[in-house]
Amino acid sequence: MSNLTLTHAQLLDPSQKLKQLSDVIIENGLVTNITPVGESTSKGDKFDAHSALLIPGLIDLSAHISNVATETSAAAKGGISLVCTQPNSKPIIDTPADVSSIQQSSAAANNSQLLPLGALTQGLEGDQLANMHSLKQAGCIALSNARAPIKNALVLRRIMEYAATHDILIMLTAEDYDLSANGKMHEGPTANRLGLAGIAEVAETASLAQQLLLIELTGCRAHFSQISCGRSVEMIRSAQAQGLAISADVAIANLMFTDEDVNGFDSTFHVQPPLRSEQDRQTLLAGVNDGILAICSNHQPKDIAAKKAPFAAAEAGMSILDSWLSMMLTLVQKGELELEMLVNASAILPAKVLGINAGIQIGQAANLVIVDTTTETCYSAEKLISTGKNSPVLGETLVGEVKLTISGGREVFRA
Amino acid sequence: MTRHSDPTQVQLTADGRLKHFLTTEGLSKELLTEILDLADSFISTQERAVKKVPLLRGKTVVNLFFENSTRTRSTFELAAKRLSADILNLDIASSATSKGETLMDTLWNLEAMYSDMFVVRHADSGAAHFIAEQVTPGVAIINAGDGRHAHPTQAMLDMLTIRRHKGSIEGKTVVIVGDILHSRVARSQIHALKTLGAKEIRVIGPATLVPKEMADLGANIYYDMEQGLAGADVVIMLRLQKERMSDALLPSEGEYFKLYGLTEEKLKLANKDAIVMHPGPINRGVEIDSAVADGEQSVILNQVSYGIAVRMAVMAMAMSGQASEQATQKNEENLSAEAQATGDDA
Repeated sequence: MSNLTLTHAQLLDPSQKLKQLSDVIIENGLVTNITPVGESTSKGDKFDAHSALLIPGLIDLSAHISNVATETSAAAKGGISLVCTQPNSKPIIDTPADVSSIQQSSAAANNSQLLPLGALTQGLEGDQLANMHSLKQAGCIALSNARAPIKNALVLRRIMEYAATHDILIMLTAEDYDLSANGKMHEGPTANRLGLAGIAEVAETASLAQQLLLIELTGCRAHFSQISCGRSVEMIRSAQAQGLAISADVAIANLMFTDEDVNGFDSTFHVQPPLRSEQDRQTLLAGVNDGILAICSNHQPKDIAAKKAPFAAAEAGMSILDSWLSMMLTLVQKGELELEMLVNASAILPAKVLGINAGIQIGQAANLVIVDTTTETCYSAEKLISTGKNSPVLGETLVGEVKLTISGGREVFRA
Repeated sequence: MTRHSDPTQVQLTADGRLKHFLTTEGLSKELLTEILDLADSFISTQERAVKKVPLLRGKTVVNLFFENSTRTRSTFELAAKRLSADILNLDIASSATSKGETLMDTLWNLEAMYSDMFVVRHADSGAAHFIAEQVTPGVAIINAGDGRHAHPTQAMLDMLTIRRHKGSIEGKTVVIVGDILHSRVARSQIHALKTLGAKEIRVIGPATLVPKEMADLGANIYYDMEQGLAGADVVIMLRLQKERMSDALLPSEGEYFKLYGLTEEKLKLANKDAIVMHPGPINRGVEIDSAVADGEQSVILNQVSYGIAVRMAVMAMAMSGQASEQATQKNEENLSAEAQATGDDA
């Protein structure tokens, strides 16, 4: 990337304690200077931000990506500089060859950076360990079993011990599949009224409690992906207070919607983990505002046929990448999420979880996004770049329009 | 954020007439009463030598059963025939979908046959609602049971049974006993009973079969059958599926019958003139004792014959709702075309 000077940008980076109208100079992909506006000599092209918000590029800890070129392009337009993709793609990412194949597609696409998460178990079948060390060597920043069940607590313990041995970050989900049975949505008044089988809160919390005890025993580094219950936030909070090396995230859907959105049997709102009660949503938001939870997209593009079926028969998942930032900004607009905590939860905390540089720092590769938070964007199926049109905000007008995205020192999107 | 069509409103035209019949939830007391009144009038035609009325003459009704049910299907078939419709029975359970055809493919194929009404039974909750949202305007959908969600024609024939045998639903204490969790019948009954002014609705069964959220629908939960039966005017027994034992929801049929089976002894706890109902088919000795099922207070067989009249009523009303909506739309199109023409002239 040639040199670039961003001027008149409303810089906000809580990790660097930056909050002022600034100029940022990028040379050869590296941030070389950050000054109050007008105090530096510009270099290369000038990009006038017209006082739009400049924040660190978003980092998505959990997306499901099969079409690398298209989806990373959606990420670039969405202000996301780095996306972690879950291993339950076709083929499943459980060998170094699968990892390098994704790395090559990502390099060829030259959009936002894509990091493959390797499988914890072979074929994600939950009984035999994948070659975890080889996957790490091949470049997996973390390993995950997507939401596929791990056979039993003993296998889980072995995974954790092996991960601890080789200092591998593991990403876990909390769900007891016996307890969730064939559930399709949150167990509560709406599920009962609609006659849909419910997934009880205890299916998540019982599993989380067991895993927290095993983490304490094995001393592994673990991150919980997509927690959905308010009670889980409290469990994570107290485990962190106890000194466990754990972190957690929540999918944006669980911060925006509740089980009541399933009224009308709209299959768009069929997601895993399920949308839970308003009280859960409030506690999850508090967890984000307190800096305990990161936010992930849990992006799952689906083709039309996969969603055009009665609720239970439709596949679970929402297409999010295009609108992720706008959805979070909508929460800010509604006064439910603090802007600084948006940045923390979607850029700073994820970087810390992954053990990479956080924020906009002099001398480091530029990862940033300029977003106009006053302009509104109307989302329609035609406008989404993602192949998945299963977006929960189709027909909605949300705040936020991305002007520029820089990922790993490369300009990947400019409006 | 995105609020999609309210399931209870999809079934109504803009002026509040029935155009599909998907659920009893959200329908007004007037509309439910209209169904009962019309069904009542059909009962008298059923007693005549010539039972047919011409309300659906020239219309094609398709029985679209993704789940097997000989009985419900036959009553719909008979109802359609008595309304003078042509009827096509499709046993999808054993054909199309098992060959991998999606529900949408099946629907498009059937629409190509220019049907006017689909009577749908499907194992997924919300299936009838989904189909109603997908079909071409003008085609009526009648829900003949979707998953655990709703079975509105069964509920309405039960309301008719109560009204005919007890005079009215208002002020009555109605108990529903058994597998409430899996029952679309119970859910539809509760909505209808509430709207029609029942004094109290009680659901009785063990916690494994009675979700506590039933209270949100307006039912009082009883785990003890003796207590639940006290003062009841209507006792509705639900069928117990054999799978409930293997799903670990119940220990055994024997223990279930001991606790929740309706015997003559237990029935004495209800009001003297209480009636006993069952959506059928009954499991004698599992949820109900033969002596009660065949006893004086049982109206189980009456329910079956009222079923035809109720189905005739909702089919006739939905078809007429569709016709009026189509006519309104055509009018509006004509008006806007006229307005356009006038506008062009000016």
